[in-house]
Amino acid sequence: MAAPMDLSCWGGDWGLPSVHPESLIVLAYAKFSGAKLTAQPVDRTWRMLTETVPTLHCQGSTVTEPAQILNFLRKQRYNADYELSARQGADTMAYMALLEEKLRPALLHAFWVDAENYANVTKPWFSSRCPFPLNFFVPGRQASTALSLILLTKGESPLNSIAEVEAKIYKEAKECLNLLSYRLGSSLFFFGNTAASLDAFVFGYIAPLLKANLPSSQLQQHLKQLTNLCHFCDTILKTYFDVNAPGCLPVFSPSSPPSPGSLSIRQDAVDANLQKLTQLVNKESNLIEKMDDNLRSSPQHRPRGPPSKPSSLPSEKNSTPA
Amino acid sequence: MSLAAEAFVSQIAAAEPWPENAALFQPLKGEEVTILLPTLQAYLRMCNLPVQVCCRANAEHMSPSGKVPFIHVGNQVVSELGPIVQFTKAKGHSLSDGLDDVQRAEMKAYMELVNNMLLTAELYIQWCDEATAAQITRPRYSSPYPWPLNHILAYQKQWEVRRKMSAIGWAGKSLEQVYEDVSQCCQALSQRLGTQQYFFNKQPTELDALVFGHLFTILTTQLTSDELSDKIKSYSNLLSFCRRIEHNYFQEHERPGLDPLSIRPSLM
Repeated sequence: MAAPMDLSCWGGDWGLPSVHPESLIVLAYAKFSGAKLTAQPVDRTWRMLTETVPTLHCQGSTVTEPAQILNFLRKQRYNADYELSARQGADTMAYMALLEEKLRPALLHAFWVDAENYANVTKPWFSSRCPFPLNFFVPGRQASTALSLILLTKGESPLNSIAEVEAKIYKEAKECLNLLSYRLGSSLFFFGNTAASLDAFVFGYIAPLLKANLPSSQLQQHLKQLTNLCHFCDTILKTYFDVNAPGCLPVFSPSSPPSPGSLSIRQDAVDANLQKLTQLVNKESNLIEKMDDNLRSSPQHRPRGPPSKPSSLPSEKNSTPA
Repeated sequence: MSLAAEAFVSQIAAAEPWPENAALFQPLKGEEVTILLPTLQAYLRMCNLPVQVCCRANAEHMSPSGKVPFIHVGNQVVSELGPIVQFTKAKGHSLSDGLDDVQRAEMKAYMELVNNMLLTAELYIQWCDEATAAQITRPRYSSPYPWPLNHILAYQKQWEVRRKMSAIGWAGKSLEQVYEDVSQCCQALSQRLGTQQYFFNKQPTELDALVFGHLFTILTTQLTSDELSDKIKSYSNLLSFCRRIEHNYFQEHERPGLDPLSIRPSLM
């Protein structure tokens, strides 16, 4: 059963074993299920050109993509979802689809398309870990792949400018984070007290966003306000990734659930935070509508010149001019 | 629609009640299969909102976002399921008000699962599988146009779909893998539904309308092989779910002037 398994992945920084979300998912799942993986970082080697990362090598067979790798590990009897019921398994699939559709485009944008973040954080990091002359074109290639993915999946016909696409994907990503926070509530992991594959996926996507020093990121600000998700990341880092040697079995014993008194206090704090955040997201859309409202209903603030006829509205607002 | 336009429309929408002459526009029969049509009809009937179905050749161009079908209510034209749900919510008809936050999160997650898996799989089978594309999809898509426009448009659409598939990583999948993914998705839906009547117990929500729309389309569309519909039929609770919605919402409420869904091949 213990066939040696190698995983090629990107290296780690900012307190994480890997900065690449997909690699992080596989590493986390391996820790949860007790699989012994030897991580072979592709940093500073020419393999980053030829291999899609992450890739698992085991006895001559290679598996790519996190979902396929997790399936492979399950077939090798490293199953972290063993205790889940059928319905929880179905929920896992649904939440994974939610993450991929709503959160991943915004993450790609925040790291690879946003000019400030790309120039200050992502490109230097990747360039410093590519051998010469790859450092000139590997980051750029990844950035253009990210941009084309965003535009093809999200930039459909009425949203023609990248700015509108950005607004849409960030709004959806914030909603997605709120939904994850509601679902997590105040428990330790998504399905009770043991970590399963959904926890690996959420951790893989959220941890880089949380730990990287992004100069301009509204998404990171939003995430930091969701304290239960931050706590979730820190718990996983502390319990599963604190051992020094990579790939060895975790020294984790299920911690006792927190006492009910502190639980209810945290629950109240969490609820209050969630309500505030939902209001914030709603406010953003309401704000735009209010601005529009004000423009139409305050004639004193119109610029001098022929007053432009407002387009005929089916029902004129009753708001009196300011 | 842009964010500002969306907020504006929902503000306007809240002001008026639902009129009697609301219309649902779809392209002419025999054209590209519209997956959303049974979804929207089911959703509107679940909300008890009357709507007339009109077939127009240029429906795609009338729609604000290019997607069909769309609804024309009073002075507004709204397309796609998400904005229509918001629009009806602004008018005071909502199916998901009774859900708490965790349930709403689950509902959104399952809707994404259906969109992610089933919709992509349907697109893949229609356009990336060469046999189906050549025999069924391209002729159907190009039927309203004269030569040579029909060929150009059909190939252009196929190229677009293939580009999107390769961007999301589905280009390397074989047909069997796609069938397997659909089967897993249906298994997840089946396990979530269990023995309940609807996904969130007694009341139907937009998730039920969406799942019904997709399953109905798969079951009633002619493809080169029946493997896909066989896979769905193997989940008996999903099949009875579809039959129940068709029976409750499409066969009892036949009003004069409407185009009942039962004219299309039924599941019975």
